Amino acid sequence: MSTRVDTFAYDDAIVRKFLWATFIWGLVGFLVGLLIALQLANPVFNFGLEFLSFGRLRPLHTNAVIFAFAGNAIFTGIYYSTQRLLKARMFSDGLSNFHFWGWQAIIVAAALTLPLGFTQAKEYAELEWPIDLAIAVVWVAFAINFVGTMVKRRERHIYVAIWFYIASIVTVAVLHIFNNLSVPAGPLKSYSLYAGVQDAFMQWWYGHNAVAFFLTTPFLGLMYYFMPKAAERPVFSYKLSILHFWTIVFLYIWAGPHHLHYTALPDWASTLGMLFSVMLWMPSWGGMINGLLTLRGAWNKVAEEPVLKFFVVAVTAYGMSTFEGPMLSVKSVNSLAHYTDWIIAHVHTGALGWNGFLTFGMIYWLAPRLFQAPLFSKKLAEVHFWIATFGILLYVASIYSAGITQGLMWRAFDETGRLAYPDFVETVMKLMPMYWVRVAGGSLYILGMLIFGYNILKTWMARPATYEVPLVTAAPLGAHAPEPHAAPAGGLVASFTSVKWHRRWEGAPVFFMVMVVVAVVVASLAEIIPTFLIKSNVPTIASVKPYTPLELAGRDIYIKEGCFNCHSQMVRPLRHETERWGEYSKPGEFVYDHPFLWGSRRIGPDLARLGGKYPDLWHVRHMEDPRSVVQRSIMPPYAHLQRKALDFDQIQSRVDAMVMLGVPYGDAVTNAPAMAREQAQAIAAGIESQGGPAGLADREIVALVAYLQRLGRDVRQLPATASAAPAAAVAPGGGK
Amino acid sequence: MKLVDVMSAAGLSIYAIVALVLFMTAFVAIVIRTFAPSQASQHEYDARLPLSDDDQAPAQAGRGVTRG
Repeated sequence: MSTRVDTFAYDDAIVRKFLWATFIWGLVGFLVGLLIALQLANPVFNFGLEFLSFGRLRPLHTNAVIFAFAGNAIFTGIYYSTQRLLKARMFSDGLSNFHFWGWQAIIVAAALTLPLGFTQAKEYAELEWPIDLAIAVVWVAFAINFVGTMVKRRERHIYVAIWFYIASIVTVAVLHIFNNLSVPAGPLKSYSLYAGVQDAFMQWWYGHNAVAFFLTTPFLGLMYYFMPKAAERPVFSYKLSILHFWTIVFLYIWAGPHHLHYTALPDWASTLGMLFSVMLWMPSWGGMINGLLTLRGAWNKVAEEPVLKFFVVAVTAYGMSTFEGPMLSVKSVNSLAHYTDWIIAHVHTGALGWNGFLTFGMIYWLAPRLFQAPLFSKKLAEVHFWIATFGILLYVASIYSAGITQGLMWRAFDETGRLAYPDFVETVMKLMPMYWVRVAGGSLYILGMLIFGYNILKTWMARPATYEVPLVTAAPLGAHAPEPHAAPAGGLVASFTSVKWHRRWEGAPVFFMVMVVVAVVVASLAEIIPTFLIKSNVPTIASVKPYTPLELAGRDIYIKEGCFNCHSQMVRPLRHETERWGEYSKPGEFVYDHPFLWGSRRIGPDLARLGGKYPDLWHVRHMEDPRSVVQRSIMPPYAHLQRKALDFDQIQSRVDAMVMLGVPYGDAVTNAPAMAREQAQAIAAGIESQGGPAGLADREIVALVAYLQRLGRDVRQLPATASAAPAAAVAPGGGK
Repeated sequence: MKLVDVMSAAGLSIYAIVALVLFMTAFVAIVIRTFAPSQASQHEYDARLPLSDDDQAPAQAGRGVTRG
């Protein structure tokens, strides 16, 4: 037996880099969140600037807090714990640094493109295709670095935290690639490969699992490492942690359809998503209990140690939101909560409580170790804890009330069977006090973040002139003595449960990765394939035709301005919905919708049946200054649409991309700009004759009006108007 | 004949049941393994892995502790 021992050092410089990035991007993401919260409380905070409007900034907020704040926090914890758990320096310092700088570059690209309106219109997957490619490259570099570290590890056993990291790395890769498949129609413009129901299905398979495999499993890995560290005792039950892992891997991937209850999704898919979501309650609470009971016999430490306080609230918030998630996925509960602020409150319990507090606790624990100086002030950390906790309570309490209030008002009928609140804006006005309380809660959370930053900065300033790099010694794997606790083999069951079997299996982390991928991919395919390949799932409707070139251009403006962040296009088959909006939405209506624009929140009214509801001039005035038409509206103004010239020449490439996706465009294949101009002139003339401004025929607003007037028209087979007239011209076979 | 027609006519629902049985079996196997008594010492060892490195923080401000 060899007695060779390696001497090496961990790479903590990369951990420090990710730590700072976590703080900086976290602050940016929180501040953007505060701004958009203000915008909802009072539209004046849109400042009349197109790149600061809610529709453009909301994706910036979500992307910044998920991928920049939580992302960098995950990497901070992973780079610290993985090296120590595997007794190996990261596989390649070059790859570590490529990962760090690549990820920051992607964040900067997101921060620039989203306010400029470059978006794929899919939640948490808004970034356009070149950035998506960059994400894939950086993620693969991270994966190679991680697997490489596992291969050269000096600890044979792979701790459960590492399992969670592996599952996250591989699943995020799969989700990212499949949801972002699209056909480019320009350097920063693309159309989703999927349309309508299928696109929605794909998106929420991704969207839900972004929560699962970006905000849950990696953080669970961090919990399983840093909680025992801070409590100075092993996890309560290692058995439970194994079950926690496998149950989550098996179940989570199925749960996505609960985001689409009562939409045009096939009912079986919806039910499937609901059942798996309810089942998820069990492993989630198993994990929560496992985390909390790790503190058994150490509860006295919680009183004096802010790190543990943060962890206790984080794990409790995990428990709260994973109880609420299954509850919200039950169809009847969902029919009340969907499209309301309830979902926003649910998300923030998880994000502010679980992700935020776990990150803060972890960094308070890491900072003295990484900066090799005592934490500047424990007292300030305590202050941070209480301020932020109070902030979360204000935030969620107000937004829960807002959500339930709005949900109940939407569905309320008076004693004569009419809608009790037929005017949508009434249901919005009711929320204003709650929106201001949210602003207060969010501000407190940010105040806590600033105190946190000051504390970490002061700790960093007390660092030694040069960091001491402790050397670690460990024997390479081959030199390991045989396991002292190997079970004697004998019989089938014994050999199955024997350590030896496990040894070989665990000795091949790549095999383990493959098994996780199989579990995730098989489940995804079983759920997604039928909607693509079995006809009965999306019955076609003969009267549904592709958008005209001008309407397509208008739809792109709708996407660019992020209208879908506040307006749904999906009438659920519920009585109050059909009373309020009209005929419920059907799967066949969306076969040309690349991407789908069903939306997930009704801050403003649903638009699925908007076409023909108002004259064109109403839309022009409304977009210019919403409050001139709807007095108490909180919509941002879009006056720039009347100033900006519509790029007619670009329309051809957009139509071409649609044709590539199989949309039957007839004449428009060669003639799109001319057709668009013709329709634009007709609409502009109509607006002028209604007493509106002249000379709008080459402005963006005309395209948007054309699109808005088209919404819901096909399925109701309304007679053609100036806006809808050329639609017939692009009917399949209507050309040459 | 398009792929959609083939898939619609193929009657694939049996595969969903097969997948269910396979997944359930895999999961039950994992549960049995996890609770096998022979695993106990292994789990104890694994559970202590995060605590096996000796990376203590520098003494806390205002609290004389351990080492520098």
